[in-house]
Amino acid sequence: MRAPLGRYVVRRLLYALPTLLGVTLAVFLLVRLIPGDPARLIAGLLASDDEVQRLRVELGLDRPMPEQYARFLASVLAGNFGLSAVTRTPVIEEIGIRMRATLTLAVTSTALAVAAGLSAGVLAAAYHNTAVDYAVMMAALGGVSVPVFWLGIMLMLLFAVHLHWVPAGGSGTPAHLILPAVTLAAFSTAIVARMTRGSLLETLNLDFVRTARAKGIGEGAVIIRHALRNALIPVVTVVGLQFGTLLGGAVLTETTFAWPGLGRLLVSAITARDYPVIQGIVIVFAAMFVVVNLVTDLLYVAVDPRIRYG
Amino acid sequence: MGRISAWVLLAASVLVAVPGAAVQAQPPPKTLHIAVGIDADTLDPAGQTTTTVANMVDYIYETLLRPDYAGGTVAPQLATSWTVSRDGLMYTFRLRRGVTFQDGTSFDADAVKFTFERLLDPKTRVPLRFLVDAIKEVQVLDALTVRFVLSRPSPMLLSNLTYTTTAIISPAAAAKIGPANLVRDATAAGTGPYQFKEWVRGTSILVTRNPGYWGKAPAFDEVMFRVVPDAGTRETMLLAGDVHMAMLPPAPDVRRLRENPNVTLVQAPTDRVIFIGLNTQWGPLRDARVRQAFNYAVNKGAILSSVLFDLGTVVDSPCPAGMFGYGPVQAGGWPFNPIKAKQLLAEAGYPSGFEVTFFTPTGRYIQDFQVAQAVAAQLRNVGIRASVSTMEWPSYVAEITAPPERTRLQMFVLGWAWVVLDCDGVLFGQFHSSQHPPRGLAPAFYTNAEVDSWLDEARTTVDVEKRKTLYRQAQQRIWTDAPWIFLWAQNWYVATVKSLVGVSITPIEKWDAIYATWK
Repeated sequence: MRAPLGRYVVRRLLYALPTLLGVTLAVFLLVRLIPGDPARLIAGLLASDDEVQRLRVELGLDRPMPEQYARFLASVLAGNFGLSAVTRTPVIEEIGIRMRATLTLAVTSTALAVAAGLSAGVLAAAYHNTAVDYAVMMAALGGVSVPVFWLGIMLMLLFAVHLHWVPAGGSGTPAHLILPAVTLAAFSTAIVARMTRGSLLETLNLDFVRTARAKGIGEGAVIIRHALRNALIPVVTVVGLQFGTLLGGAVLTETTFAWPGLGRLLVSAITARDYPVIQGIVIVFAAMFVVVNLVTDLLYVAVDPRIRYG
Repeated sequence: MGRISAWVLLAASVLVAVPGAAVQAQPPPKTLHIAVGIDADTLDPAGQTTTTVANMVDYIYETLLRPDYAGGTVAPQLATSWTVSRDGLMYTFRLRRGVTFQDGTSFDADAVKFTFERLLDPKTRVPLRFLVDAIKEVQVLDALTVRFVLSRPSPMLLSNLTYTTTAIISPAAAAKIGPANLVRDATAAGTGPYQFKEWVRGTSILVTRNPGYWGKAPAFDEVMFRVVPDAGTRETMLLAGDVHMAMLPPAPDVRRLRENPNVTLVQAPTDRVIFIGLNTQWGPLRDARVRQAFNYAVNKGAILSSVLFDLGTVVDSPCPAGMFGYGPVQAGGWPFNPIKAKQLLAEAGYPSGFEVTFFTPTGRYIQDFQVAQAVAAQLRNVGIRASVSTMEWPSYVAEITAPPERTRLQMFVLGWAWVVLDCDGVLFGQFHSSQHPPRGLAPAFYTNAEVDSWLDEARTTVDVEKRKTLYRQAQQRIWTDAPWIFLWAQNWYVATVKSLVGVSITPIEKWDAIYATWK
């Protein structure tokens, strides 16, 4: 009775269309409701009123709202999201340049978080109520509590200024990736560790685990092969959500480490009230979230065959 | 197993090798790395709005004239000499012989004509078009002589021709790149000491030495501008040796950086005057005595040294020192005298003060929000209860550009800097009644018919002495009318590694490091 995978995916993506349409309207209205005139901000304080007015016309901001929205939708359908008000480059191009940096950082830090978080969580559960458990949970508490800009600066001072092991900020080489990835992973690692521990402890109390132990399987194999797999569902959910968030660009980490990701592009676009860029990025974020959620759901099935496409 | 031990070896070698290398004295780098706070918005000279971006564009493109800050005048650059007709309507420039653009074509009168006609074309985005909009026509007299015919006298024109906006572009390169693409591509299009190589959005801009440069060759093969938005990170990167120069590290760290033996802090006063605008059309602030009381109530020197770490100079006139037409009105600035302030408030009918809202941006000017809090505390001593509120810059700009009938401004922090050193920029821009928002950006809504007529005359007469006299009069009148709490002219600064020498700061908030060397 299992529905074919392809049809399920297509149906899910179709469901996403009304969501994305809603997003276009919401972001279109939001950017125009907050105060700030793009033409004045782009032209600068010294520009004369005539130049500001000229720019307003060039950017189409003198047109009625419904017309502006229609143009925006047309640019979305055309796939380029229009031209950046500041640089007059197609928005899709601007996003593409930053997407690589954001993807690199998000994938690396998620991988770090999964590796470190899973190991720590499993350790904590295996050594429940021992010093190991307490140490992992303390570290996890630290990880969720420490703000990234503080952690980032501390790591920079230690590893870049004092030890000279890695560059302090910037991008271009794999070495540049280390500090921002570790900084960004701290929070997710902590979440994954806590989630793994909690879920694993619950599973370890279930009947099938007792059966496995009764059969004489070693404790290591019981945890890794039997319990962990069943404990993974909530962990996958959390990782999916975290990854989705990271794809949206990690504004603070990117700013602290001068990492050229989408988050920084979004912030600078907001500061310049570059409507097309803000709109484009928000839609891309929304679309990525839809895809990540879908992939997360598909992973459930991979992890637990009892779950069906529905 | 083998793979793991290889990783361990690699990690160990990194641990051992790198710290040693960083401690030793370094040979001159091939590439000079400069950390800047913002990415470029456009590389097109015509589109410039921000001095930091213009500063980078200056490496690639050059203007006809260059500013001579020491002499307070203009000096030859791509033009070697010039004459101005008696009526001030004709400017004739003799151009430098033997200059070629980076694309190999020769710099000549046609290139000048091309550049200025493009600047005057409404289809080109030129936010600072006012710099050249007095020009009616550009005539090529011969290959190396060009004449600008003006529609009205413009005594600031020569100064204006020193700003990046008016830099000369190679017509051949522009045709090749496409005029609209000059925003992101400057390949071989200028005559400057460096040529454009690469712009990685949000990351860096790389320029390389122009082998055919007509002037003195700079010391470094390449200069890379690294985009680092966070001031603390710029400082950290400098201390870590990732960059050789960082613009505007955090102001509170400036004292410590001055004491750091590995760092040089280079700073200089600029023409950016920081003030607290008083809405002269709002309630009690309509009375000049109240506005004078505000000036007496604030101890500028104390705030400057304790809150601003001495990164400025208290102004003694509405027009900061170093500008054409500047004349000091009151030595040392408006005196700090709370007793006199209370007395003036009582005379004006406010013996127990009043409440006022006080807007400030955060992070736009050095310590702006902290300054506003200090000023509010001092005003409280004379009975003025100012409540400080702040907002992000775009919303702030919306506030200061609101028309008088809609404005929420009562008092507000603002900084004003002009791109060339002429009092016209601040005096006309901030005190001429035609500049009230939304037409202009003079949100104190100051109105004085006499000041208006002096400023009008000063921007149309070519008689230098006459202009000076008019500006003196205007500065004195404005100072007494006190539409601002006059604070200070802000310094601009960069930090460099000790080995980098010959960096200076210009009065228009640019660094000058083209001829910096390594020691």
